[in-house]
Amino acid sequence: MESPVLRVENFSAHFGDNPVLKDINLSVRHNKVTALMGPSGCGKTTLIRCINRMHELIVDAGVAGCIYLHDDDLYKMNPILVRKKIGMVFQRPNPFPTMSIYDNVIAGYSLNGIKIKRDEKDRIVEESLCKSALWEEVRDRLHKKGSFLSGGQQQRLCIARALAMNPDILLMDEPTSALDPKATAHIEQLISELKNNVTILLVTHNIAQAARVSDFTAFLYLGDLVEFGTTEKLFTVPDDKRTEEYLSGKFG
Amino acid sequence: MLMHQTNIQLRIVKDRLFLALVVLLSFAMIAPLLLIIFHIVKNGIGIISWEFLTALPKPMGETGGGIVNALAGTMMLIVLASLIAIPLGVLAGIYLVEQKKGAIATGVRLCMEVLQGIPSIVIGIVAYAWVVLSMGTFSALSGSVALAIMMLPVIVRSTEETLRLIPDNLREASLALGVPYSRTVLKVIVPAGLTGILTGVLLAIARIAGETAPLLFTAFGNPYMSLNVLKPVDSLPLMIFNFATSPYPEWHAKAWGAALVLVVFVLGMNFFAKVIAKRWKVQF
Repeated sequence: MESPVLRVENFSAHFGDNPVLKDINLSVRHNKVTALMGPSGCGKTTLIRCINRMHELIVDAGVAGCIYLHDDDLYKMNPILVRKKIGMVFQRPNPFPTMSIYDNVIAGYSLNGIKIKRDEKDRIVEESLCKSALWEEVRDRLHKKGSFLSGGQQQRLCIARALAMNPDILLMDEPTSALDPKATAHIEQLISELKNNVTILLVTHNIAQAARVSDFTAFLYLGDLVEFGTTEKLFTVPDDKRTEEYLSGKFG
Repeated sequence: MLMHQTNIQLRIVKDRLFLALVVLLSFAMIAPLLLIIFHIVKNGIGIISWEFLTALPKPMGETGGGIVNALAGTMMLIVLASLIAIPLGVLAGIYLVEQKKGAIATGVRLCMEVLQGIPSIVIGIVAYAWVVLSMGTFSALSGSVALAIMMLPVIVRSTEETLRLIPDNLREASLALGVPYSRTVLKVIVPAGLTGILTGVLLAIARIAGETAPLLFTAFGNPYMSLNVLKPVDSLPLMIFNFATSPYPEWHAKAWGAALVLVVFVLGMNFFAKVIAKRWKVQF
């Protein structure tokens, strides 16, 4: 078995005196979709925000334990470098409102002051938009503002923006929670296609979504990692009683 | 039942009266501005000519002459004051948005409120003490310092208020791409709020363009053309003051003309600010 892309070891996080994550152990496999599932407030969003070191931007927030990307300890690296290697897609689509579609996709390079040639840029933009299944819809209006797209298109634009950086892993924080069912279906289909080339860690509060798109599922509850395994096993024969109760809708 | 009906009739009448009163008083609000503009235009329009806008003033007794020295001086003062106040004000505004709490932020906010309330003549005296005395001469620079201090609170506040409305997820989008904090602020946050910041700057300019008191003993006034920042310059309000307080009717007419030019400039700035705010509005 090949080594995992990301390993979370004995990891805890807190806001002030309030523990949010307790002793999490988890690994994310190469080119698979791993879902983090659990009721609101279970710490799933905090966990992925710890992975790209966005958690620490909040006053009073702190962590303990280790997260490894391949063999590098993320907490010994510069957070800026960490965030370049780890892409993130947010709950609400957030394209840069002052930039065109083209500039949005290339933003990871231009905002960081990375100089690349024009035809190289064109290639990255086309490739990224193709990967996020947006190319056909926007190829004629690449230089129009991204904020005029529909919600689902904006979210795919944000996915393209993250993919343009060739991240080692793509974090998705409830990427469909602000979208309508049709756009949600589109994004889910996209995730299934993406996993041939990209490692994805997906946060979702939607049990059905985790079942539909993920290969592995982790169930978090009140800051504890209750159960982690293949999606098939977790959904059919869960080890833990709490997982079973959550799946049958007894809480959450 | 009848009682009830008259009661309702009475209430409807009262309601109409109230509405009429509100509308009437709203119109009364517009009246002073319209009267001011009417008065200035009536007295000032006659003297406006190409020569008035492009010639230097002539000594008493000679006909003709213009206000070009004051126009140039006012422009120079505005540009210099903006060069000082815009970077300081915008950076302070950014700081206040990023640092919501904390002793320094609270202090800065308090200072800006107090600064806004300080009479302009006092700011003039301070600029006199700082710049004029230490450099030994009245100058455009000292006038600009005084005007810049007056611009600061307006720019800081409008920057802070504009940037505060920018959604947090925009900042996160940039940070999550590995963009350093400084670049995130300068290339994502500030561009998204540029319209609002620009509007604030224009309003600040409109505010200082007509200031006389802080220039009395800083820019001082100058009947000749000067583009040297270290020499005294004239400005429109100073010129109006000097012409209007003179005993000569010809100079009074020029004061009206200069007042008209000044009012048109200030109203133009306000109008321009509105247009920019509407036209370039960023859609989130």
